[in-house]
Amino acid sequence: MPETLRDSAMKRTLGALGKASVYLVMGVFALMTLYPIFWLIMNSFKTTREFQLSQLALPHAPTLKNYSEAWKMGDFGLLFPNSVLYTVGATAGIIFFSLLAGFAFAKLRSRATRPIYNSFIIGILLTTQTLMIPLFLEVNLLGIYNTRLAVLLVYIGAGLPIGIYLSTEFIKAIPSALIESARIDGAGFFKIFLKIIFPMSVPVATTLAMLNITSIWNEFALINILVSKTELKSLPLGIYKFSGSLSTDYGKQFAALTIGMVPMLVFYLIFRKQITKGVAAGAIKG
Amino acid sequence: MVTPAFALYLLVMAFPIVLSIVLSVSNYSGGKMFGGDRWGFAGFGAYARVFTDPWFWNALKNNAYIVLISVFGQLPLGFIFAYFIYAKIVRAPSFWQGVLYVPNIISVIVVGLLWQSIFSPYGPIAELINSIRVGNFEAQLKAIFHAAGGFSLSDDVMKKILDLAGPSGQSMFSNPVPELRDLLTSFQNQPLSAVYSALSNLFVQKWTPAFLTKSDIAMLPVLFVILWMYTGMYLILFLANMQKIDAQIIESARIDGATEGQVMRWIILPSLSGTIVNSAILAISGSLSSFALIFAMTGGGPSRVTEILSIYMYNNAFLGSPNFPLANAISLIMVIISFALIALTKMVERRYGGKED
Repeated sequence: MPETLRDSAMKRTLGALGKASVYLVMGVFALMTLYPIFWLIMNSFKTTREFQLSQLALPHAPTLKNYSEAWKMGDFGLLFPNSVLYTVGATAGIIFFSLLAGFAFAKLRSRATRPIYNSFIIGILLTTQTLMIPLFLEVNLLGIYNTRLAVLLVYIGAGLPIGIYLSTEFIKAIPSALIESARIDGAGFFKIFLKIIFPMSVPVATTLAMLNITSIWNEFALINILVSKTELKSLPLGIYKFSGSLSTDYGKQFAALTIGMVPMLVFYLIFRKQITKGVAAGAIKG
Repeated sequence: MVTPAFALYLLVMAFPIVLSIVLSVSNYSGGKMFGGDRWGFAGFGAYARVFTDPWFWNALKNNAYIVLISVFGQLPLGFIFAYFIYAKIVRAPSFWQGVLYVPNIISVIVVGLLWQSIFSPYGPIAELINSIRVGNFEAQLKAIFHAAGGFSLSDDVMKKILDLAGPSGQSMFSNPVPELRDLLTSFQNQPLSAVYSALSNLFVQKWTPAFLTKSDIAMLPVLFVILWMYTGMYLILFLANMQKIDAQIIESARIDGATEGQVMRWIILPSLSGTIVNSAILAISGSLSSFALIFAMTGGGPSRVTEILSIYMYNNAFLGSPNFPLANAISLIMVIISFALIALTKMVERRYGGKED
């Protein structure tokens, strides 16, 4: 990271009062960010009755009953492994296919490369959610409605444009001489990909993993139209179930929301630096 | 090597677009696409219906609001916060970055339902305001009894309490002073706090805010949550790009006597013009792709006023009897809007674009 400013004139001229007000504004915003999350987790330990009596007080007798009941009612035992499968499977697929295609776009010249690459770049700007309805009809047409395959295919397809863009840019920087000498030694393209490109692309693969793991884990709009069977659903779909007739059962609803939130919070606590880097890299020029 | 990626891409992006073009001008109404009921070309009626539907314009307006809150809310706030961190006006840069980005990693379904509870008429905001009202009321009661030298049922005290209760409290009685005295007689041997809470229960009106149930303001909490959620993302974008600026350029400008405003105007802003345009593009495509947050938070209600295009489309396809030509027409309109807006932003970028590499 390049050196940042050591001491700005702004900082010197701002004075104590100015500095205090900057802290105040940012502090209020940070509090507004953290307090609702704290409030949610805190209330997930209250019974619905206690919640109705006071929503702002700390729980008197914290209970875990909400969690066991929400877990059962939401079928989270089924949904949790699904979420893991979709997230890991689709992320791995996006990384593999992106690097493979990125290698071709960056290092192999052919007449078809350019227009295909450009079509992927257009795809970055197009959000798959806008195509929700035709996608629904398409998976029905193909007979893969209510299958894990459809979810994985759609997630991988939706993640490819940005994945391919970042991979291509990254692989361009790998010296072509490395590939040439491997070719002279008689290695085929696929072998070069596996032995040279793949191991060297760990940084871009990490970025892609960070970008996709959070977004796929939390995805709702697409999976909502791709599956309707409980045993194929992911966590966000299960949590949404707590919004309708169950929404007055606050204790369970809050436990369900916390169950949906905590895995990604933990992930964020562990990988905060990489996620932040990924976000900055992922929001590229259209 | 490109084939598998390209095939998937066609499956998920290109083919649905083609399908939406075909179906939007058809009379397809669900069921098997081949071998089921016959369907065919039916003209551009679906488009005519979309453009004459006031709910389409309502949804489009809400999408525009989302773009506006992004461009004039999240972007400037994110920029200012990023600058505070960049210029080291606040300490602990990673703390602020880390905290303000948190909402982005939570599922929008969780965010939507969480804020639905917060904005509920009986939610924590209502509880907070009501407890403040009760606190005020009881403080004034305390002053009344204190002035009377303790618990008292005198006419004067009764009148003061009734004044405090206001017209709505007085209207509970036909003959206020004696009736209130009757009521309070039973409290003679109890602590004053019991009197306070009984009176505040009786007289302090409960405030039940209608943030999400009143149609003319329901969009405001939604926009607030969008601002709450995504400001941190723009903060990270701007900060990452500010840190790419060569610090030496700024240092030497300072040595030449440039003020902080000049540094901002001539060095920081031009270096970030590309990022700003990018962020605007993100805001637009984000608005078109947002669905789950509003779906969870309001479901498009009350009475459809918070519908955005994606929910409007979803409801036409899945609610009641499906209207697939209409839904596909909406889908295609959204695709066209996103392309048009992006082309526009690119033109702006080309004309005013900065020196970003």
